[in-house]
Amino acid sequence: MNKYQFICGSGKLDTSVEKSGQGWRVTIGESVYEIDPIHNGLFAIANGERRLFAAGVKHKGIYYIDLGRVQLELTEASDAASIGVADEQHKVKDKVFAPMPGRVVKVLVSVCDEVKERQQLIIVEAMKMENPVSAPAAGKVKAIHFAQGDQVDTESPLVELELP
Amino acid sequence: MASQLFKKILVANRSEIAVRVMRGCKALGIPTVAVYSEADAHSKHRMIADQSVLIGPPSPRESYLNIERIISAARETGCDALHPGYGFLAENPLLPKACKEAGIVFIGPGADAMRLLGNKVESRVKMADAGVPLIPGMKGSSADIAQFEKAAESAGYPVIIKAAAGGGGKGMRIVREESQLADALAAARREAMNAFGDDTVYLEKYLSDPRHIEFQVLADHHGHCVHLFERECSIQRRHQTIIEETPSTALTDELRARMGADAVRVAQAAGYTNAGTVEFLLDKSGKYYFLEMNTRIQVEHPITEMVVGVDLVVEQIKVAAGLPLGDHLKKLSQRGHAIECRIYAEDGENNFMPSIGTIVHYSEPEGPGIRVDSGIMAGMDIGIHYDPIMAKLIVHAPDRSTAIAKMTDALEQYKILGVKTSRRFMIEVLNHPEFVAGRTYTSFIDDHMSARATGSDGHVALAAAVASAVAAAPVKVSSGGSRKSSVSPWESVGAWQIGDTIGE
Repeated sequence: MNKYQFICGSGKLDTSVEKSGQGWRVTIGESVYEIDPIHNGLFAIANGERRLFAAGVKHKGIYYIDLGRVQLELTEASDAASIGVADEQHKVKDKVFAPMPGRVVKVLVSVCDEVKERQQLIIVEAMKMENPVSAPAAGKVKAIHFAQGDQVDTESPLVELELP
Repeated sequence: MASQLFKKILVANRSEIAVRVMRGCKALGIPTVAVYSEADAHSKHRMIADQSVLIGPPSPRESYLNIERIISAARETGCDALHPGYGFLAENPLLPKACKEAGIVFIGPGADAMRLLGNKVESRVKMADAGVPLIPGMKGSSADIAQFEKAAESAGYPVIIKAAAGGGGKGMRIVREESQLADALAAARREAMNAFGDDTVYLEKYLSDPRHIEFQVLADHHGHCVHLFERECSIQRRHQTIIEETPSTALTDELRARMGADAVRVAQAAGYTNAGTVEFLLDKSGKYYFLEMNTRIQVEHPITEMVVGVDLVVEQIKVAAGLPLGDHLKKLSQRGHAIECRIYAEDGENNFMPSIGTIVHYSEPEGPGIRVDSGIMAGMDIGIHYDPIMAKLIVHAPDRSTAIAKMTDALEQYKILGVKTSRRFMIEVLNHPEFVAGRTYTSFIDDHMSARATGSDGHVALAAAVASAVAAAPVKVSSGGSRKSSVSPWESVGAWQIGDTIGE
């Protein structure tokens, strides 16, 4: 029996897995899931009266899971530290990053402005579209590191906030 | 097949539409040439073409918008015709002009019709003369508020003031009664001046909750023009449609016939040839107004193909070769119902923010009446250089409710991992009671979808169970997660060489 701990957003889940026929029996708390691999990362899962058709792949430490209607990304707790995701995310709410490399087309706030959660701060143009970058939490603008026309990547923060 | 229509066709585009056009060429037995930028060396459109030519760096300006480079690629490879797809150069009159000068047939309308229809003011005047209904309003601007009052009165309130240089809602004001007009006019002018440095504004009737209905037309070089019925494109986000369907639930046979006849009238007034699309807005009272004509093959053309049983790209090629419209185009009917969902690299759970990444898993849906027009494959990188459309999913069924059920199943079957999509969002739109009832209009998403729940807590355990099976499975999923863990045909094929003419 293998045991895993997965992180999804702010939640943690402990699972245990054992071989069951052609597939796997996964136990999470009180629930038991029977999962049959089909081929190439596709799985069939008994889900009440229906069978659910899912896809799952691990790539660069992230488990990408497609449940048909819902797609989720998970990490193993043991991997999370090394790839710097999940658990740490709530701590970096004071730094705002671009979702992808692009060009700053507009800066909508000034230093010292009070901003609300989800308020748009900067517009970054990428893939021929204007993409608003919003405040992850309410706070006060401490610093703006880029100006209109600047190229930005995803590594350096666009805006720093002072959280209350 | 009889004598070939063209020796070889260059497809001046990328991704799914380039692939789609090449399929049409293949159906006619015509060899194809792809052009690609450095960012597209591993692209699907390059793989399925018979030959491919590198035309420049990733920046569209230096590659897919570079007319000179594209024309010389066509010359180098001995192409006698060129298909522009949609986007990029498709509606730039300089491309048909350059083709003509190079002795290459442009598969699309003539440069003059393209230029006329690209100019909104000129084409409005032309269509008014042809008797096509336009949104009532002012023809030009005026400094005199009395002119605005007069125009508002004759159009009927509510009206909308728009900036001539406008876009993005700036300098726009909806006016519901005459007493608000003066204030709204001043505000719109101020806003237009701030946004565009130009305070020219004009006024037209405001249509509340209109439907976007467009008609496909085909015209040959022998004076024949037909329409291939409507497509409804009312489900929009960012002012761009993501779900289209045909027939529209809003059209009666009588209205359809009138709008179709007007669509043909528009094409003929413009001296149009080849495939084009005439766009209308339809208001709640059943009145419709000409919006514009798109002088290209549209993204959503497959739903027409499914319902009418015509391959539009094949027809485009035949028309360009000088053939008259065939008899099968003179007795058209709509059979069943078709829906298209656009699969963009965007996060449907986060304001449709574009998403980039590597496609780590890709499997397409299957079943009767399901069609996928795709430009992607497993292992491909989705980058920042181009429009984020990856694929289109199209279903055809005997009736609308079956088409909705089939599309829901197909979206659930369609697995794309590594980049985000709006599949879940679209499933929820399709199954919304108002959509099911056929009550669609252009602000449907704003009105009905903004309050949707986006949580996925109930699914986390299920996802963790699948992840556990992935983790436990004895496959070569290296924990370092090199590209090897994705299933990419490129790793087994190696460098792409066959039929290549790189860097000539």
